[in-house]
Amino acid sequence: MDTTIKQSLKEIVGEENFTDSLIDLIAYSKDSSEHHHRPDVALWPVNTEQISAIMKLASREKFPIVPRGAGTSLAGLAVPEQGGIILDLGRMDKIIDVNIEDRLVVVQPGVVYADLDRALAPYGFFFPPDPASGAVCTLGGNVATNAGGIKGAKYGTTKDYVLALEVVLPDGRILHTGSKCMKSVSGYDLTKLLVGSEGTLGIVTEITLKINPKPPLISTSMATFENLEDAGRAVNQIMYSGILPSALEVVDQQTLRVINENTDLGLPVVEALLVAETDGYTKDETVFQMEKIIEIFKKNNASSVKYADEKELAEALWTARKSSYGVLARINNNLLVEDLAVPISKVPDMLRAISDIAMKHDVKMPTVGHAGDGNLHPVICFDGTDPREVKRVEEASTELFEKVIELGGTLTGEHGIGLAKIPFMGLEHDEISMDIMRSIKRLFDPDNILNPGKMGLEE
Amino acid sequence: MEGKYEFEKKFRDQVLRCSSCGFCRAVCPVFGLTKRPAFNARGKMLVLKEVMDGNIELDDQLIETLFQCTTCASCSEQCPSGVQPPEIMKQVRKDMVHKGSCHPVFEGMNQILQEHTNIYAEDEPEDFERARNKKAEYVFFIGCVGSYREDEATMATLDILDHLKVDYTLIDEVCCSGALEDVGFEINGRLAEKNVELILETGAKAVITGCPYCSRTFNGKPQYQGLKDAGVEIIHISQFLKDFDLGVKTDKAVTYHDPCDLGRHCDIYEEPRETIRKIAPNFVEMRHNRADALCCGAGGGVRGAFAKNSIAMARRRLEEVEEAGAEIVLTECNSCVHNLNNAKLRAQKFKIYTTSQFLWQLLEEQD
Repeated sequence: MDTTIKQSLKEIVGEENFTDSLIDLIAYSKDSSEHHHRPDVALWPVNTEQISAIMKLASREKFPIVPRGAGTSLAGLAVPEQGGIILDLGRMDKIIDVNIEDRLVVVQPGVVYADLDRALAPYGFFFPPDPASGAVCTLGGNVATNAGGIKGAKYGTTKDYVLALEVVLPDGRILHTGSKCMKSVSGYDLTKLLVGSEGTLGIVTEITLKINPKPPLISTSMATFENLEDAGRAVNQIMYSGILPSALEVVDQQTLRVINENTDLGLPVVEALLVAETDGYTKDETVFQMEKIIEIFKKNNASSVKYADEKELAEALWTARKSSYGVLARINNNLLVEDLAVPISKVPDMLRAISDIAMKHDVKMPTVGHAGDGNLHPVICFDGTDPREVKRVEEASTELFEKVIELGGTLTGEHGIGLAKIPFMGLEHDEISMDIMRSIKRLFDPDNILNPGKMGLEE
Repeated sequence: MEGKYEFEKKFRDQVLRCSSCGFCRAVCPVFGLTKRPAFNARGKMLVLKEVMDGNIELDDQLIETLFQCTTCASCSEQCPSGVQPPEIMKQVRKDMVHKGSCHPVFEGMNQILQEHTNIYAEDEPEDFERARNKKAEYVFFIGCVGSYREDEATMATLDILDHLKVDYTLIDEVCCSGALEDVGFEINGRLAEKNVELILETGAKAVITGCPYCSRTFNGKPQYQGLKDAGVEIIHISQFLKDFDLGVKTDKAVTYHDPCDLGRHCDIYEEPRETIRKIAPNFVEMRHNRADALCCGAGGGVRGAFAKNSIAMARRRLEEVEEAGAEIVLTECNSCVHNLNNAKLRAQKFKIYTTSQFLWQLLEEQD
């Protein structure tokens, strides 16, 4: 990037919000995925006007712009694959308005999920979609990826809460979508189009989110199943029983085995372990729901069921699920947290397929997931310095996603396409849908300067 | 694989194991202040990966991040992959110094300890009006910050030891020089030998240190093995005081700041709280406490080399004091007291002391 452009960028954001230092370019070369490429420059804009000016310059000079939150993407969404500019929105971190009367908050994109949660707690409210990276991820990133979390089965994902957005378009114009109303069918739903658009259509600079009252009480249970199909049937029956658990998580046999090999937890090595949580305002309410769930566990041959109706006692039941990432992250050099979703009834078929594919290709693919909404995370632990193992991982991944589509599933439930899933886009989306997606991209970003190379949009 | 640098030989696996999850963003004090990802542990590991891959050299361009770490270890505490960035940083700094890339402040610090006996290059030892180098049951080892910057806190601690009729002596102590290990150098053998010799001459069964870092150094570094071999126990003043009840109380709202060197590095969280709870029924915790405690910003040489950021980190810690509504902040590290007091704004009316300093005040008020 030539020095006159750099000079113009410095003038827009100020010397202190500009960097082309080696250490910053390296830090911005990677997110949580395996992809990496250095940007030429990184900026920390502090307001919408600066971003608008940057976009105008980028449109004129045709250099790529990649917006970035906490960089926790597991699919390469935040990697500047073609260089250019990283727009780190972390310094736009104000909670602009907490409006309990209208049940909404207005935030800047750099607000960390956990900080919003803390700000809402005194009011007894929360923003339900809670990604595992909640302590660090930013709301701008959550909007760009349409982030989910363990509460998805009952509370949905980010898209269900975004009411309105302020977005800077590639030509520098500032778009306002949606409204502060709980209901609105006024025109095309541009808000939902932008949620999950992975920074390819515009830079989100202000977010209006619906918030929920937070039920203060929970009940928790854990059940083990010798047979995967029994666990799958239990999940399915719970989800059509009329009870909506606030969490329904699954841990597979490979995961339990790996945890036992690397810790002293001594978990039962069954084919599947389920953890369920119900929430409510009275103990009667949470217990009533939980009793129904336990009844279903038992009816489907659970080999053991444990139950806790207090938060403090629930901790032990979550051990297997919550320790999984920490254990899996330590067992090898590379960690690929995969993401897929299948119709709820297909969860056991998918888990069985994952186990078979892992064995066939001799790779470790322990799987945990949000069984209640069919969203699974096979975690591939491998040594990236061993080319033969890398090849086996690639072959296993291809077979995995072919199976997902065969079962009527989708390539990603909550992590996004980014760079990681581009090779599989054709499996799920036919030429017509790719054509429409590309047309939308061209409409917003005719010069392809926003997060180029992502989502398989380039022909 | 053989690496070019010592850090690769020792820590290659750990650097590779960092999965770039970014969870260290939540806790790194330097990142929390600057919001610059190059400064948190993930940023540092990415830089080191590029060094290991031979893409870049360990040179002056990297000083700003690799030397700007307070070694507070909150990232190690949170890391799902079990990476221990402070240990890696210490080795990397040594490699950089070896190659001729060092922050000038740290070079200066090493130089000072070649020529003087303490990090402040003070030639006149502070007079605490106590006997030195005599035979006693305990040695009280003050440390540089307690000797030359927080002498009131030290005086109060000595008054308490007298009040409790502890049989102790001071020695003509010199800097333990443990901090040199953090900033790219080695413990100064001449200074270590002098301390070991003076302590052993007193015939003491234990050394009580006023500084948690000195305590760590005596306990963990081979240059101080002589103390262990002679069966001399090393304890920090907070561990010593917890067994006493001084019979004083305060109504004030008191909070406790966990020093990194005592908490995350030595796992000592409860002893200081035991002492404080005895005197302060109105005890409140800050939002980040124990293993999650926010660093005061002084450690790892950051106060000397990046003073502006160091003070700003201390301000962030003090915001939590206000949030907790405390009137008194107690801690167990003179260096924390020093940095937090330097950062305190005039509008902030709470007071910051070491626990023993506050205890002594209460005893004096009672009399």
